[in-house]
Amino acid sequence: KTWVTKHEHHLSLSLNEASPTAVKLGQEGFKKVGRIEEDSPCPFPGLAAGVLEMRVKEGSKIRNLMGFAMARIQGEKTGSAVGGTVTGLRQVVFTGSGRAVTKTITCAEIMKRKVGCLHQMTKLRYKVVKEVWESNQGTASEMTVHRTVPSISILLSKDPLDPQEPGYQPPETLSALWEDRAGTEPSAQTTYKRPLGQLPYSGFPHCKKLCLEEEVSVLPPN
Amino acid sequence: MTEPRNPGMSSVPQSNPSHTESSSQAVEMDPVEYTLRKRLPRKLPKRRNDVYVNMKTDFRAQLARCQKLLDGGGHREICVHGLGLAINRAINIALQLQASSQGALQLAANTSTVELIDDLEPEDPDEAGEPMTRTRNNSAIHIKGQDSNPRPP
Repeated sequence: KTWVTKHEHHLSLSLNEASPTAVKLGQEGFKKVGRIEEDSPCPFPGLAAGVLEMRVKEGSKIRNLMGFAMARIQGEKTGSAVGGTVTGLRQVVFTGSGRAVTKTITCAEIMKRKVGCLHQMTKLRYKVVKEVWESNQGTASEMTVHRTVPSISILLSKDPLDPQEPGYQPPETLSALWEDRAGTEPSAQTTYKRPLGQLPYSGFPHCKKLCLEEEVSVLPPN
Repeated sequence: MTEPRNPGMSSVPQSNPSHTESSSQAVEMDPVEYTLRKRLPRKLPKRRNDVYVNMKTDFRAQLARCQKLLDGGGHREICVHGLGLAINRAINIALQLQASSQGALQLAANTSTVELIDDLEPEDPDEAGEPMTRTRNNSAIHIKGQDSNPRPP
């Protein structure tokens, strides 16, 4: 049994870059059998215990994640004449690393669009992931590779957050991000604007079905 | 901006050869094949310290460019932008810059949604197919890196 433990902070070991290690291990008949993310402290100090943390993985389905998270933040609709709605959570955290980073952002963006008036805090850092590779050529050899991958944590909150904290984003900054800059630099384009209403998904069946479904469940169909 | 990227990357919709009688009719309903052309993203502000990360340029070259802006370019602050797949690379670059600054570089990340437009052009101009456009969204990240140390005069 060979145990190779590498501590590399090298660029090429990050998952999103073409990883020579992974390729090599793959070519030499190794198979990835496990992936363990090392525990790291919460990037948002002072966050209430028991806040909902959505851990987005490479294979997570956005509709599953959003179906769950939206129900929790909006409150369960009991549907009965007596019950009405139970108030939803005040805060949600989306976290993801490696190839799940884009999906994590997409989840947060969808939630911001649907819930509205959410304060956002984004934190970036490296996360150490332990990968276990196993030889599939009969010889019982196993390798552990430590690699650092970029990870993102996004806190969405109905309550205000500290605007001085790096990574803070006030509600409804869909276009303000660019218009702010236009103010500082006159030559910049000021025409960037997104329509706030429903996007013209409907005519195109190939467009994100998920958005359509979610849109229907959240907004009243018109 | 309207220059096609990835020409002929895929055809939409895909018409499958019919297997049964019932499906053959469905295929005939939509005989036109389209070429999907992705327009470039909308033009965004480009100051000297804005860096738009892509997946075509070598990673090290893009990292070196950012490092140069901070070290020799006289910029206390740079903005690294990434769209879609390049988000990961943008984060990677920002974190690398932070690591090489011994933590002096403070990162502030914002996320946004960017609307992208695809053109659907009929493969065969003689067919009845109309050119169409399609809108979709993609996520983006904008990372502001700010040197928090006072710079020596």
